[in-house]
Amino acid sequence: MKIMVCLKQVPHQDARLAVRPDGAWIQEDNIKFEINSYDTYALEEALRTKDAGEAEVVVVSIGPDRVSQALRTALGMGADRAIHVKDPATEGSDTLGVAKILAAVAKQESPDLIFAGFMSDDGNFAAVPPMLAELLGMPHTTAAVKVERSNGTLKVDREVEGGAHEVVELKTPCVVAVQTGINQVRYASLKGIMAAKKKPLDVKTAADLDLAGKVGAGAAKVSITKIAPPPKGDRAEIVEGTTDQVVASLVNKIKELGLL
Amino acid sequence: MPGILIVAEIVNGKIREASYELASVAESVASGTGRTVKSLVAGKGIGALAEEFAKKGGGEVYSADHELLGANNVEAQAAAIRAAVTASDADLVLISNTPSGWDVAPRVAAALDAAFVSDCFRIDSEGGQLAFHRRVFNGKLDATLTATPGPVVATVQPGAVAAFAGSTAGKVQKLDVALAADKLGARFVEVKQAESKGVDLSKADVIVSGGRGVGAPEKFTEVIKPLADSLGGAMGASRPVVDAGWLPHAYQVGSSGQVVQPKLYIACGISGAIQHLVGMKTSNYIIAINKDSDAPIFEVANLGVVADLFEIVPALTKAILAAKG
Repeated sequence: MKIMVCLKQVPHQDARLAVRPDGAWIQEDNIKFEINSYDTYALEEALRTKDAGEAEVVVVSIGPDRVSQALRTALGMGADRAIHVKDPATEGSDTLGVAKILAAVAKQESPDLIFAGFMSDDGNFAAVPPMLAELLGMPHTTAAVKVERSNGTLKVDREVEGGAHEVVELKTPCVVAVQTGINQVRYASLKGIMAAKKKPLDVKTAADLDLAGKVGAGAAKVSITKIAPPPKGDRAEIVEGTTDQVVASLVNKIKELGLL
Repeated sequence: MPGILIVAEIVNGKIREASYELASVAESVASGTGRTVKSLVAGKGIGALAEEFAKKGGGEVYSADHELLGANNVEAQAAAIRAAVTASDADLVLISNTPSGWDVAPRVAAALDAAFVSDCFRIDSEGGQLAFHRRVFNGKLDATLTATPGPVVATVQPGAVAAFAGSTAGKVQKLDVALAADKLGARFVEVKQAESKGVDLSKADVIVSGGRGVGAPEKFTEVIKPLADSLGGAMGASRPVVDAGWLPHAYQVGSSGQVVQPKLYIACGISGAIQHLVGMKTSNYIIAINKDSDAPIFEVANLGVVADLFEIVPALTKAILAAKG
């Protein structure tokens, strides 16, 4: 059994975001990156299947040099192999372009299961996993909070409105887009990190995937033309001063509200 | 001029409010660009709903009636939408960003080799060019997107625009969708309603919630809980705290947890992702304490403190206990 896990490296959740001079994205220089939070849960879910029996876990990511660090982390956590699609020709792909790249990798790898995060912490599109499933002719589900495997099918609880769970059964191979909180994500152990150095990390280009000219900025059907901080509404009144002054103001307000 | 296709969604035998919001978006885009408005109502035994939607913003409605379309099946729904796109010659497909939309919309976009934009809070047109507005970076930034000529599938955030309240001279026509149960890879099993929470935050006058900024599970008992106790209130948490296993799900405030409306809500180390704000923004009074002055939580708070919560919260607890004597 082979499980493919799609990982995206995104700006760290605590990074201070500054808009790039052209206004179309953030400045990516000098900020920290991390594995997309949703994807860490997807990886953990795959690693648990591996721990429970026989499964090879292959992690796949697209992006520049920095992405190899995310893949090494995943290998350190227990993934067996990594594939890094590294090619300037893939940069600027829209979500469908990304799905096409991952579909091409999946066709070469023929996984029994594909896990991915429900959405990314940067673009927030939640688009790639269902697109990938469609391109591969596989069933899929999103917002998975529980996955149970039985012979040839997967029973998945997906989180829907009001905290309810919708239960679906998927024939395998299939794509499961994982919601956060589905499991407790492990850290890479020192031993795991040492072992990761010897694990295979293959680099592929668009041409290796027969995608030259079919993905990247030139093929993107949708693009971000502008990003900006949301317009300021009735913003909070900010209390300033020393800790004692701030605390005194808060106590007064709580008294005013009749709660003290 | 090509048209707009609204994909109506049926929940518990009714067309949901979000579908009328799509009708509102469609109407404004149609008036700005000259497109016509058509809709798809797909399900089992939905003839009357199709008639109703045609009169209330749906315009020309394709009614797709099939056993498998009433079975919560993503692939069947996607097939119906594709058939409606072909029949209508629409170049803009509008779907609500609901759990059903999450599954079906990107699938349809990939099948049509179309542009895809999700969770728009506004779609407008300038000189015939459509502009799609949505949030990125979990609400920290707004983005404007444009698409190349050709079909676009867009999902719209429920509640972002007012529902269509007028009437339309619509008509209904049947749409046949070829479906076979054995060709479908997914099967809907059941919906399990949320279990009893164990922690009822709805009765608390004061809720003190902690977020990722609290940093560690023991800090909830050491720092957050004492402040809640000092005010006779309850403790809550944001999703990342629950996801990390620091507190059980019962404490979660937000769209996938409890929706609360206390007299006072104190948010500590919570940045304010949209899914949290939905659960607490109607509180009577909100105090936010966060190190990051750009955190979206300050947009909904009444009073804000830009500081380390570990400096403010213990001192505040102490001052409240002193004030109570």
